[in-house]
Amino acid sequence: MAYMMNLGAHSEPNVEVHKFYGGTVLGTCLLALVFQAFLHKYGRWSELIDLPLLVTIYFGVSRRNPVSGLFLGGAIGILQDALSHDNPIGMYGIAKTIVGYSASSVGARIDTEHPLSRFGLIFLFFHFHQAILALTQRVLLNHSAPLFTIHLFVDSLVTAAFGVILFALLDRLRKSS
Amino acid sequence: MIDTFSRHRPLTLLATVVLAQVLLLAFQIKRENNVRLIRYWAVQLMTPLERAGTWTFSHVGGLWSGYVGLRNSRAENEHLRSEVDKLRLRNSELESRSAEAQRLETLLNFHESHPEAPMLAAQVIGASADPTSHTLFINRGERDHLRRNMGVITPDGVVGKIVEVFPSTAQVLLINDKDSGVGALFAVSRTHGVVRGSGDPEPHMEYVINEEKLQAGDVIVTSGEDRIFPKDLVIGTVGSVRPGNPFQTISVQPAARLDRLEDVIVLLSLQELAPKKTEESPAGTGVAAAAPSAPRSGGIVSDPNKFKPAPAVNKSPAPAPPAPQQ
Repeated sequence: MAYMMNLGAHSEPNVEVHKFYGGTVLGTCLLALVFQAFLHKYGRWSELIDLPLLVTIYFGVSRRNPVSGLFLGGAIGILQDALSHDNPIGMYGIAKTIVGYSASSVGARIDTEHPLSRFGLIFLFFHFHQAILALTQRVLLNHSAPLFTIHLFVDSLVTAAFGVILFALLDRLRKSS
Repeated sequence: MIDTFSRHRPLTLLATVVLAQVLLLAFQIKRENNVRLIRYWAVQLMTPLERAGTWTFSHVGGLWSGYVGLRNSRAENEHLRSEVDKLRLRNSELESRSAEAQRLETLLNFHESHPEAPMLAAQVIGASADPTSHTLFINRGERDHLRRNMGVITPDGVVGKIVEVFPSTAQVLLINDKDSGVGALFAVSRTHGVVRGSGDPEPHMEYVINEEKLQAGDVIVTSGEDRIFPKDLVIGTVGSVRPGNPFQTISVQPAARLDRLEDVIVLLSLQELAPKKTEESPAGTGVAAAAPSAPRSGGIVSDPNKFKPAPAVNKSPAPAPPAPQQ
């Protein structure tokens, strides 16, 4: 994973690239996956929050490297698929690969430090992620997955709100410049 | 290409990773009939290609086999053409032989019908080089005891007479030669005349008065007065009749096919050829009566009335024609 994180290190020169202590990215991603699976045991309320997605977005916009972003997103997604009991491996992988790439690309162009922009970014990426998932399910699985519902909308709001808090916590793991 | 890849490396990597995961998904997902999606896709992808390949191979193969077949067909066609040419030649030869056999059979029958009259079959071997002279050469001559002024006939009718005799050949003057003349009379009315050649394919009958009522198709036979042909041998039929001064102009359609003679009979004597009794039909109608325009009763008229069932013949006596100058 560390190797993947070093790929494609170039980014916009006028935007700050945040670095993290060794093992931070890997540990955070694993913790997100574990928590997602752990919390799932204690009720359906955990479904409101997609921790792996938040981690993908955060490290994508922070590192601002599309290559590392897509690999990180892909790895998180595949692991998430692997931990699920009925998802074919690749469903979340594809969605998070694209989200990781997109988040890195967006992070290289706009300011992602402000909480409001983070909220909006998470909200948009949530629906983008959901759209990719729905499209993949429709095309590959022949499942009529919804693109937008009230439930999804609520989920996106909760996830965005939680994401703003999580991102602030994760900011503390950055190396000081 | 490499520059483009370097410039869009992240995007290329994204596409690669996504594609890899799509394939991974396709490997896991099963569609109807428990078929994996990747297999379904592979089949969907490969089937058109296989179909296109099959189509191409079949058409190219068909084209090739057609071309080879065409070449074979061409060779076969040439072979068959050659075969057809050979068979045509063979057929023509057989037809020729068949016709010859038929002619010889007719001659033989004719000869057997008249055992009392000495005659000799001969083959036409040539004709005159002069287009105005209607003569031909036969393969019999002095060695076969031929002499001048012997009559030459076919089973159909009178042909001409021998004018020159050579050791092995003889020259025959046809009845349509301008120097030819045959004593003749109408089979029905018994009116006498002379059939003379005019240089045209059709001779003319002369010295028939205008009062003599004639019709096309009236049979003309030898009169025997020329001391060359026995009496009542068929010369031909009346072709057309025009009144003249003082005699009618009568064109004669020769009974013998003078333009395509191949086998002829030379009469060695003036012995009259009596009609054979067996040629008469039980009803009393002779062969000549069955075909009045072309009597074939051995070229001999047995009953002239049979040629014209209802003749309107003027029985007025005709002036006696001068003896033909043969």
